Amino acid sequence: MGTEIEADGRALRLSRRARAIAQMEAHDLDILVLGRQANVRYISGAPQLWVVGTRPFGPICSYVRATGEIHLNSTWDEGIPEEIPHENLYGFAWNPMTLVGIMAKMKGADTARRVGTDALTPMFAKLLPMVFPQAELVDAEPAMRAARRVKTSEEIAALRRALTVAEEALAKGAAELTPGTTEQHLAGVILEAEAAGGVSTPATQDAAWVTSKDHPWRRERGDGTVRAGDLVALSAGVLADGYVAEVARTFYIGEPTDAVRSLYRRRDHLWDRLIDACRPGNPASALLDAYAQAGEPLPAMPVAHGLGLGFDPPVVSPALRATAERDVLADGNVLAVTGYVWEPGVGAVFTRDAVVIGADGPTVLTQTSKGAW
Amino acid sequence: MTAATVSGVTQIARTGYSRLDIPDEPDLDRMRREVSARLQAAMADHGVDVLVLLGNSNVIYATGISWPLADAGLSHIERPVAVVVAGDEHPHLFLPFREGSASESGLPADHLNGPVYLEFEEGVGDFARILGRLLPAGATIAVDELTGAMRRAGSALFPTEPVDAAPVIGAAKLVKTIDQISCIRRACQITEQAVAEIQKSLVPGVRQIDLSAEFVRRTFELGATTNMFDSIWQVMPTSKAAGTWTTTGDLALPLLTTEREVAEGDVLWTDVSIAYRGYCSDHGRTWIVGQDPTPAQQAQFDKWRTIVDAVLSVTKAGASCGDLGRAATAAAGGQKPWLPHFYLGHGIGTSAAEMPMIGTDLGQEWDDNFVFPAGMLLVFEPVVWEDGTGGYRGEEIVVVTDDGWMPLTAYPYDPYEVSNGN
Repeated sequence: MGTEIEADGRALRLSRRARAIAQMEAHDLDILVLGRQANVRYISGAPQLWVVGTRPFGPICSYVRATGEIHLNSTWDEGIPEEIPHENLYGFAWNPMTLVGIMAKMKGADTARRVGTDALTPMFAKLLPMVFPQAELVDAEPAMRAARRVKTSEEIAALRRALTVAEEALAKGAAELTPGTTEQHLAGVILEAEAAGGVSTPATQDAAWVTSKDHPWRRERGDGTVRAGDLVALSAGVLADGYVAEVARTFYIGEPTDAVRSLYRRRDHLWDRLIDACRPGNPASALLDAYAQAGEPLPAMPVAHGLGLGFDPPVVSPALRATAERDVLADGNVLAVTGYVWEPGVGAVFTRDAVVIGADGPTVLTQTSKGAW
Repeated sequence: MTAATVSGVTQIARTGYSRLDIPDEPDLDRMRREVSARLQAAMADHGVDVLVLLGNSNVIYATGISWPLADAGLSHIERPVAVVVAGDEHPHLFLPFREGSASESGLPADHLNGPVYLEFEEGVGDFARILGRLLPAGATIAVDELTGAMRRAGSALFPTEPVDAAPVIGAAKLVKTIDQISCIRRACQITEQAVAEIQKSLVPGVRQIDLSAEFVRRTFELGATTNMFDSIWQVMPTSKAAGTWTTTGDLALPLLTTEREVAEGDVLWTDVSIAYRGYCSDHGRTWIVGQDPTPAQQAQFDKWRTIVDAVLSVTKAGASCGDLGRAATAAAGGQKPWLPHFYLGHGIGTSAAEMPMIGTDLGQEWDDNFVFPAGMLLVFEPVVWEDGTGGYRGEEIVVVTDDGWMPLTAYPYDPYEVSNGN
């Protein structure tokens, strides 16, 4: 992180924009109007204030294909790359007509034929035609997803740095796992360690929970106290230099019983099949099939999702089976792969790792031992 | 409570100070019932039959669930969705695995659904089938966000063109119930307790990010559910000219936290926020590292408290944003005492900043027409600045009452002295 706020490296900025331009050409988009934090970072290369959760759509960053010009919502120039000049920066606005006035002055706004936005509200669906009088408004997400899907070596290096911080935080949490501690304390320790490690922007804050012995995925409704005989899930997720890293492990409190050992063996059996499915050319649904091959029921959450600046494609969920069947894994995809097994009366073992799909097979980036207990 | 033991805004302002009976802990069932009634009334006023809500803060508001929110890049894919139908007191909730707990929602089983993935055509198709069963014929639908897949689905998802949900949910959110106020006060208490410990550890050589680390640790241990934004510990420049370039020519705020070590005499403007049961705190103060304020610095604080006193003396139900802006400007000697890219104050609820905003580009007429109802919350954050002092900025949260205001914050102003306090 260092002591200065700096833009993302020049090579990373230019390589990302080159991929975005290629997708704008492929999707016939003249201008991108982006509101999502990850897309804005991808195009602008500028770190901005991190605010948690979804945000309503607003035009934060515009990218004009013909000129390569970027217009960015920022009141100051700290951390703004040199290729975005002062005159292309604009401050916050609460009156949407202020934004319309600013954007209408962009070179190319009056002649653009197709403008892509990464989300929309009914209000901006009415206002943006005032900015782009000739343009059809279309969805830019397919173009952005295609650009973001395959990672360059610089991006994988950024993911590795983020993952190191997440893994160190998880280890700090694991060191505090004793009977009598609480979920809140463990979450506090993990989030503190992430910040002390240089990343005060967590990707996830759902950091510790006692897995249920009564329900495949619901939380224990107790007082948050960890007791002997519990399986406790720890999950660390950070957003470092714009890139998300996630790691999760489950720990047994006490001397493991045969039932607990058996559950971890089921996880190992499943895990081998999940990793084996991470090969170029496989449909993403191969990760769903891995559960069936291991004889495990599919969990309630996605079993894998792309890592990058947030959720990248693919998102492999039992609820999106047909989508996963059409989605083919490619060299350079990075996935957060999730293993989840549950046994009544025992609890769940939840495991998440970062996996790079390469021509030579899968590479697990996560260094943390899968340790059982 | 004697004057010697109170801290915070009641040390510097008394006119209009009033007390409401706010429970120490929220009654969540009552909160959901009363919020539902407000939402239903707002839907009726706006002629909306069905609300479809995707935004995290709107879903928290409408359903009463809370969960540790995720980064923006993750949260638009795996997120709870709420559908509110006119005449049905319970919202329909679509809940992913990691966001919230169905058992906490208090909803009947037939209103609880698994996750929907509205970023994908397959997910929108599933949602459209369920929504089709809930939509009355010819219903007017309001939505707060349209994903690309929702736009492409067109009338297969929404038989009629949806209207914007923001005015409906904004109207409902404006007045808080006593249980929502209880949540926000608890969030403020957790924040202040953690900040008090951090302020003790503020010594030369501490990194900004260490303050963030300690803040998140303590607030989570004290019951916070979510850290709302990257904590700000901004070292102020010696002059506006020496500061970061801005579009306005005025000060930059908030500049991001780094591994920078704070030095003796640095003036820090702090700004932090957490959520408790889905409702936010917002806390700001000015600190000086390792030193007491100089007379010029103390004078900055004295000017700031005069402005807060003037603003609060006109704050009550029936006052307008314009009234408060004028009171602040008069107390500041004719200059607007807030940053031109921000505001004198704002609302707060399931977001750290929500309507109304006072003194923005919405304009004077908008400010004059925005009249406060009792039960609305305001966060004041006036700013005073003189080159060479580091200025003063702080935040105070109050409930607007029939006769004045009730504070939800109670944090002292150290190292500045409250001289001649009321």
